[in-house]
Amino acid sequence: MSKKSISSSSTAEYFSKNLQQVGFSSQTKAVLTTLKEAVDNALDATEDHGMLPEVKVEIERLGPGTIKNSERIRVMVEDNGPGIDQDDLPKVFGEYLASSKFGRGRCTRGQQGIGISAATTWAQLTCAQGARVVSKTKAQRKAVSALIEVDIKNNKGVMKQRETIDWDRPHGTRVEFMFDGRIQVNGDAGLLNYLLGTSLVNPHLTLHYKLPDQEVVTIERVSKDVPVIPDATEPHPHTMKLGEFIAHSHLFGKTKTSGWLKKGFSRISDAVLDEITKKKESGVTKTMLDKSVEQLADGDFTKLFSAIQIAELKAPSTNSVLSTGEESLAKSIQRLGKVDFFSVVSRKPTICDFKPVQVEVAIARLEDKNVESESSAQILRFANRVPLQFDKASCAIYQAITSVNWRSYGLAQSKDSPPLGPYIFAVSVVSPFIKFKNASKETIDASDELVEEIRRALMQAGQKLSRYIRAENKAADLEEKIRYIEQFGPILVEGLARITKAKEDQKKRARDGLMKLLGRDANAAEKEVSEANEKLAAHKAKADKMDAARGDEQEAEE
Amino acid sequence: MALKGGKSQSEIPGLSRALCARLLGDLEKAKRPVLHAIKCSLDNAIYNHKVGYLTPGGKKVATELNVSSVKKMSRAVFMLEVLLRNIDTGAVNTKRELYYISKGEVKGTPLLKPLDFTDQSESDDTVDFICEILECYREEVNCYANDRGGQTYSQQLVVEETMADGTKATIDLSRLGTSPFQPKNRPQNLKLASRKKIDFCLIVESEGTANTLVANGFTKRHNCILLGSQGVPSNAVRGWVKLIQEQIKCPSYFFGDLDAYTMQNIYRTLKAGSAASLIRNQDYSAPDVKFLGVLPEDIKKYDLFDYPVKENDAQEVRALKKADDALKNDPFFQDKKNKGLADILRWLMKNKRRCEQQAYFSVNPKDPIMPEKIIIDKIKKGEFI
Repeated sequence: MSKKSISSSSTAEYFSKNLQQVGFSSQTKAVLTTLKEAVDNALDATEDHGMLPEVKVEIERLGPGTIKNSERIRVMVEDNGPGIDQDDLPKVFGEYLASSKFGRGRCTRGQQGIGISAATTWAQLTCAQGARVVSKTKAQRKAVSALIEVDIKNNKGVMKQRETIDWDRPHGTRVEFMFDGRIQVNGDAGLLNYLLGTSLVNPHLTLHYKLPDQEVVTIERVSKDVPVIPDATEPHPHTMKLGEFIAHSHLFGKTKTSGWLKKGFSRISDAVLDEITKKKESGVTKTMLDKSVEQLADGDFTKLFSAIQIAELKAPSTNSVLSTGEESLAKSIQRLGKVDFFSVVSRKPTICDFKPVQVEVAIARLEDKNVESESSAQILRFANRVPLQFDKASCAIYQAITSVNWRSYGLAQSKDSPPLGPYIFAVSVVSPFIKFKNASKETIDASDELVEEIRRALMQAGQKLSRYIRAENKAADLEEKIRYIEQFGPILVEGLARITKAKEDQKKRARDGLMKLLGRDANAAEKEVSEANEKLAAHKAKADKMDAARGDEQEAEE
Repeated sequence: MALKGGKSQSEIPGLSRALCARLLGDLEKAKRPVLHAIKCSLDNAIYNHKVGYLTPGGKKVATELNVSSVKKMSRAVFMLEVLLRNIDTGAVNTKRELYYISKGEVKGTPLLKPLDFTDQSESDDTVDFICEILECYREEVNCYANDRGGQTYSQQLVVEETMADGTKATIDLSRLGTSPFQPKNRPQNLKLASRKKIDFCLIVESEGTANTLVANGFTKRHNCILLGSQGVPSNAVRGWVKLIQEQIKCPSYFFGDLDAYTMQNIYRTLKAGSAASLIRNQDYSAPDVKFLGVLPEDIKKYDLFDYPVKENDAQEVRALKKADDALKNDPFFQDKKNKGLADILRWLMKNKRRCEQQAYFSVNPKDPIMPEKIIIDKIKKGEFI
């Protein structure tokens, strides 16, 4: 056997060689991922500090890139957030896994602290310079401007060209990347889809964006409530593995074992511990529970862990999920274009695959009939309020949409396909533990339970939507019936009269009789239309009443 | 040719006018007129081996005048007028021609614009609807199909045709040289005679194989009528074989592929008609035709080349699936008298193999008349179903 030295490499080294795993698998994706990571950070930062985000995005082409068939692209994202302390700048933009959010079990957009450093790496690899950052905190009089790069060998951020500058903002961060890529504006994976999607699920966001060869567009916020991200709940023991269980104990050294179990985990109570100790075969005794955590032997951990796994525990709490809410969604969806009518559903948080999750659905029909009726509805997918734009076919959201029979709600649809027509389907899944299929977070794993939960939300939204469609169809039906009577009545009578050589008075009587008959049909259709309209009005009134009640509650709280 | 209830073709105009008068009368009273049409589908088909062909059951489709049906009724009355005019003048048309005639009528009369047919299938449906209401054949309203298939050879057969103007033409098939006789969609205008006793009539599924048999001298060596059906038999072929059966009174044999499609779509249609044409099976089916082969036992007996049904053979795969349904629901295959034919379908479903009629050429490749010898041998020995 030959002797080879075994060396370890840094996290940064690993990611710099595997950028495709984190969203840099193609040139178009590189642009979108860079934008997405910068906007995610901006939104998380403002929300964390209870600020209403105002984000400015600029994307432009600077000329040909160094990679074949690429362009030099500039992506700039500026926020009005709290700003970043200058000592933290290299960590935030130049160091992998240096996150304030890693594994905290909260519904933040970013989770691991990989994305923005990957964007810096990509810029560095294709353009030989990292991220240009300007940041100012409330306490600073002047802003700090610097170039941040990744020291790939050591996974460390390096700050270069640091200078203090005048910046006319009270606080905020502006980050600018220059790199090789290709711009795709339209389509499922286009920049526009990302920007519109982001504004949809962030009603409190004001977004200004400028895409190449286009004017600046501003989407104003429709809500002044900054979402409060609920704190994480303690971990549920059924979602853990033995190693994690033991590692968790280290935080509770001198605490009594029973205290560690009750405080350190959710859903473990005295009753649960009693039940465990009663079962002799579990090997867990009261004495063991009275020992401090430090005193436990390795074997004790295994016994405890196994006994808890078998014990019947309540499902995890759903308090840690964050929703946009039906009211905000309803306002927000109207920012996407001229909307004919819409339907929103915000499901109660529930447990899927033992993790808390909340599903929200918004469906809107656009007035813009330029969209061909045979083309598929536009689908916007979100995970923790971040748009998902790739690999839709294997996504839980897409699978749930195609599994619903939309024809029963009055929409056109081919089998196992999304519905057709000028509709927007927005589905948002929020959970502190979203199971993605890959590190670039493009697809939500389609487990049966999650697909079913999304399906239910979609069907509820479909039912609401069908009230509008039904009323519309009935009206169209009536119109067609009246047209039919006017067109075919005379033809039928004339034809019959010619064949039978009927006299004029006979013909007249037949014409009158026919009109009477068909008129009865039209009256019946008219009645159906007014009934459908009444139902719709009643539904709207009920919804308004509920909105008003919600408003009163909020006022009372304030 | 007789309509159901013994009415003749000449009664169609009268019947139609009476129907229209009833509709008009109902309208005058502001009463919803209803049209009843025979339901032409398998679930309304009855088979009695003594009758020999599929006949309609009692199910009718009622079309009541309302906003949804006013278009269909208006179109039917419009097309009826065109057809009555044809009967009156003796003009005939194909369905496609009727489609264009309708187009022309609509073009000339703006009031009729809403009736306009967007494609031929709509006008075809209207013609069929009229036939179902009047319980007549399309040929009886002077609407003819293309004379497809049925090219006939014989050294003994003589055909006398009565023309539209009443004059008669005599065709002696032995004098046509290598040309076949093409039977007409109106076989009822033909009268048959034979110069010599005709022993049998052979209907070959493949037109090409029929021609080969004739070229190799089949009709010279045997007193027979030989014709090719060219796949699913057209009205012309079905009516023609029935005519031969009734007027020449010789036994008839069908020789075709051993597969589910041939059994259900070709042979069954020739022998007992189809569910779609319940009204006219009486005149367009030849109940005495026997199935000569290829029979499953022939494969072993003559060591014929057969092969498994290919998955990409959509037609045959579909036919095999349909066979199961046919055995359960088709009164023809359920009839005890046709047990032998149903057994072939079962054999085909079980073995999923097929054997083509041309496989007889593989028995002795050096003898061009080997297939003829086998056919004659099978007829003599009674090896048919």
